Amino acid sequence: MTPCGSGGQDALIQERKFKMIKPLLQGLALTLKYFIRPSQVVTMQYPEERWTPYPRFRGLHELQRDQNGKEKCVACGLCSTVCPSECIHIVSAENAQGERYSEVYEIDMLRCIFCGYCQEVCPEDAIFLKQEYELASSEGTGFIYGKERLLAPLKKHK
Amino acid sequence: MINLIIDNKNITVPRGTDIFLAAKNNGIYIPGLCYHPKLSQYGGCRLCMVEVTERGRTRHKFSCAQPVSEGMQVKTKTPEIIKYTKSVMEYLLAHHPLDCPTCDKSGECGLQDITHDLKLSKGRFKTVRMNKPMRRDNPLLEFNANRCILCGRCVKLCKDVEGVGAIDFQNRGINTIIGTAFDKPLDCSFCGGCLSVCPTGSWQDRTFKFRARHWELKKTTSICPYCAVGCTIETNTKDNTVLKITSNDARGMNEGNLCIKGRFGHDFVHSDKRIKTPLIKKNGVLSPVSWDDAIGYVAKRFREIKNVYGGKAIGGIGSEKCTNEDNYVFQKFCRMVLETNNIDNLSNMKSPLLNTLIHKSIVHGFTSTTSLKKIEKADTLFFVGADVTEAHPVIGTLARKAIRLNKADLIIANLRNVRFDSIAKNDIRLIHKLGTQAPLINALIKTIIDEKLVDLKRVEKATDGLRELKSLLKTFTIKKASQITGVSEETIRKASALVAKPGNCYIVCGKDIEEDPSGPDTIKALMNLCALINTASSLKTDAGKISLVFSRLNNNSQGANDMGVVPDFFPGYLDIDDQSNRKRFEKSWDTKLSDTIRKGTAFNLIDLALKKKLKAMFVMGENPIVNFPNGKTVKEAFRQLEFIVVQDTFLTETAQLADVVFPTATFAEKEGTYTNMAMEVQRLNIAIPPVCNARQDWQILCDIAKKMGVTLFYESSKEILDEIENTVPIFSGIYYERLIRQSFNWVTAHKLKSRKYKFEILNPKSVTVKKKRDYPFLLLTGPSLHHLGSFSRNSNSLVSVASECFVEVNRKDAQQMNIHDGDEVLIESIQDSMKLKAKVTKKLPENMIFIPEDYEWVHVNVLRDNVYTKVKLSKA
Ligand code: SF4
Ligand code: SF4
Ligand code: SF4
Ligand code: SF4
Ligand code: SF4
Ligand code: FES
Repeated sequence: MTPCGSGGQDALIQERKFKMIKPLLQGLALTLKYFIRPSQVVTMQYPEERWTPYPRFRGLHELQRDQNGKEKCVACGLCSTVCPSECIHIVSAENAQGERYSEVYEIDMLRCIFCGYCQEVCPEDAIFLKQEYELASSEGTGFIYGKERLLAPLKKHK
Repeated sequence: MINLIIDNKNITVPRGTDIFLAAKNNGIYIPGLCYHPKLSQYGGCRLCMVEVTERGRTRHKFSCAQPVSEGMQVKTKTPEIIKYTKSVMEYLLAHHPLDCPTCDKSGECGLQDITHDLKLSKGRFKTVRMNKPMRRDNPLLEFNANRCILCGRCVKLCKDVEGVGAIDFQNRGINTIIGTAFDKPLDCSFCGGCLSVCPTGSWQDRTFKFRARHWELKKTTSICPYCAVGCTIETNTKDNTVLKITSNDARGMNEGNLCIKGRFGHDFVHSDKRIKTPLIKKNGVLSPVSWDDAIGYVAKRFREIKNVYGGKAIGGIGSEKCTNEDNYVFQKFCRMVLETNNIDNLSNMKSPLLNTLIHKSIVHGFTSTTSLKKIEKADTLFFVGADVTEAHPVIGTLARKAIRLNKADLIIANLRNVRFDSIAKNDIRLIHKLGTQAPLINALIKTIIDEKLVDLKRVEKATDGLRELKSLLKTFTIKKASQITGVSEETIRKASALVAKPGNCYIVCGKDIEEDPSGPDTIKALMNLCALINTASSLKTDAGKISLVFSRLNNNSQGANDMGVVPDFFPGYLDIDDQSNRKRFEKSWDTKLSDTIRKGTAFNLIDLALKKKLKAMFVMGENPIVNFPNGKTVKEAFRQLEFIVVQDTFLTETAQLADVVFPTATFAEKEGTYTNMAMEVQRLNIAIPPVCNARQDWQILCDIAKKMGVTLFYESSKEILDEIENTVPIFSGIYYERLIRQSFNWVTAHKLKSRKYKFEILNPKSVTVKKKRDYPFLLLTGPSLHHLGSFSRNSNSLVSVASECFVEVNRKDAQQMNIHDGDEVLIESIQDSMKLKAKVTKKLPENMIFIPEDYEWVHVNVLRDNVYTKVKLSKA
């Protein structure tokens, strides 16, 4: 904590402000250098340029479907139990055929640490962490991923 | 006691214990799937192998089938045994579908646990899957034969404990499965016992189906909100939703047994038919208002009525379904704030002398003490006017345990040939004529005296009035008794011998006695019978005694009376006219009670309302319009009232007539205590916060009192119970915290003074019912296994099994009138008429019909008048 109100402190802050000016100018000069010569840039030009993640990268989850297009997840609850950040919320229910399925499957991406435990524990191979990493959102609820965003899209089946 | 060594641990257990249980009770784990302490041994799973060294010889034995012996040395984990157990498991798993991810048992599955313990992974055997389809032939249970390991627990439970025997093994060899006879859809009592003992997920609760995993559920111990047995249940909740009810074998006198209502009838808690906000009648329509408005309005109206007509113009009906605390605060509120003593509860209104009679039998030590659990130690069971199977199913399981393990004899005295399935060697049915229950009991007494089945000299010494009793019964010969009652002489003799035989005899006195016009006479006769046998035996203790158990209808019928929601008594049966009792309560409540607080007239609340003596009525958690005999008059009585307040969970018929309705919490949202029919006070606990704005009954009462300028201030049920403990003598020594572990029985806790018993001298008269030519049939009503009150009516599970009320007609009558099962018949009485589906049965005597009265939406009581109702029957 900074104690305030003492004269000696003020003098110190004045002195520091003065010392900052030189590095600031140095930095601006560097910026100017790359601005004039863009060919020397080393950072990635996102979003024009995009990074290809490594194969074992763990990004956004995807809920799988079987070859008939049916959701693989049976709402066994193991992933939500194993998840160290307790960010998976499942409501299990019975479907029309009397089978178990997840009525609600939500992951809170703000809490997820992408450890991949859920993928590892799943007995049905129903969840995988894929390569998708662009998860920013401008509102809080945007980070709660429900089934509509997690489920793999239906492929055309004959 | 036997000493033995299991895994180098010295253990002492009672003789006759098997090794399996000895180990389990001492914290040593032996795998095993077919053994269950509640059931007889079977030895079917072969998993519990241990190495036993006895008299120098070492052998391998199945621990569940091997009783302990002195000096025995047992090893449970030798490499050989582990190898053996593993291979047995491999066999079991070769057959198992391994669908744990979709199985509701996962997490509490015996098979899963052992697989895990033995670290089994790949089996050596070729897997054979049955691929049988799931059996879904009834609304509550489904059966998956693929998961079954044929341990036989469910079969045994169904046969031995529940007495139903709906399921059994079928086929042989690898094709063996569990199934119903001829593969018919399961049609049983739906006790759910099979579900509770199955070590695997073969039986599934369809009402729960997949809604949570075992480890996500929070279990709260509580008490069943239906009948007066008071079974201990576990409320399973997730996210503040009650998902299922389970039972714990180690808790409560029911040993984990429940009936259909207790196990499946919980979904009313989240019914969308619940009242969501307080309601006030505006222009004839009940419309939602805020809590403050409703409470303010009620307080205002009560104050007005009190000022104009005096407090006694307000009547109060307490609740047999609410807790003791609710009822205590209710009578306090009525007596202290409303200044009225016109309070009552339905059970007391139906049988006004019962409280006094029960109290008398307690004073003389005739009631069973400590617990209903004692019934399982009975040597003779005598059900008088009690339809145990329908009204109190778990008493039936206790009785069957006595029959199974104690070889108890069974006597059932009833007008109808009620169903009770058991394996009793002596199963005597005294099916008597209408209104002759009192002579029948006297006939038993007569036989016992005549045949000197007990030591009469001893009786004479210990009691008064035996001589008078003898002389009264002089002319009442067995022959005559047999003519009057219609029970053969031989049967009367046999029954008398069984009642008088040494050992414990439990008499369950049922509703048919208690609510009958001749009820008090019959109960007095029963007390004579108890006195005759008990005083003759030299034993002072409970063992070797005959005890009376008075059945009550609802979960807290007993408690409502104990708490003084009756016009004659303060809480704890303290005479209201006695000045010292009055002082006691004035001191405790810090008030001066109004002069109107004294015994009233002989009229009950309904009569008073009819006579326009009442202007307002406060009904807490009851539906008298439907549940009180003579429904027409009750409705009429309620119409006379100016102002009606009802507290209830659902908008019942009575609530619909009300001016103000308050929504109340159900058992899952409440805390407090219930008292069952053996005077056991048991505690329930809050499992979930109140659903939709509801409040506990006592909180509402306190709020109204506050608005009326009187502070009844309680923070919790505990404080109310503390006040009861302090004020009411029979409840001294009851502590809320202690109730978690143990129930409190006020009969046992207080040795009530017993004077010398004086025999009741009554003329054994039978009630004669005049026949009416136009109405040739007599209407009997009674309990139903599936329904009780407005809770079961709003439980989809119970309604799905028993959706339609019916009328039972004797087979002969039915033949004459050409009525068949399922035909619609018209029942007419002087009061009203209704149409119901017929059920042809042999249970009934001729010229009588039976309608269960607890299908609350069918208002049987509108047909009834106060005595036996005569009706006519025709095919609709
Ligand atoms: S990746 Fe880890 S933190 Fe994220 S949902 Fe799966 S288990 Fe939970
Ligand atoms: S572990 Fe797999 S099957 Fe189970 S709930 Fe999670 S995603 Fe669904
Ligand atoms: S529910 Fe009860 S009666 Fe029905 S099959 Fe199971 S154990 Fe038997
Ligand atoms: S259904 Fe369950 S209890 Fe019955 S035999 Fe099979 S495994 Fe045992
Ligand atoms: S016997 Fe009575 S208390 Fe027990 S579960 Fe059934 S209804 Fe509930
Ligand atoms: S537990 Fe002993 S054989 Fe099953």
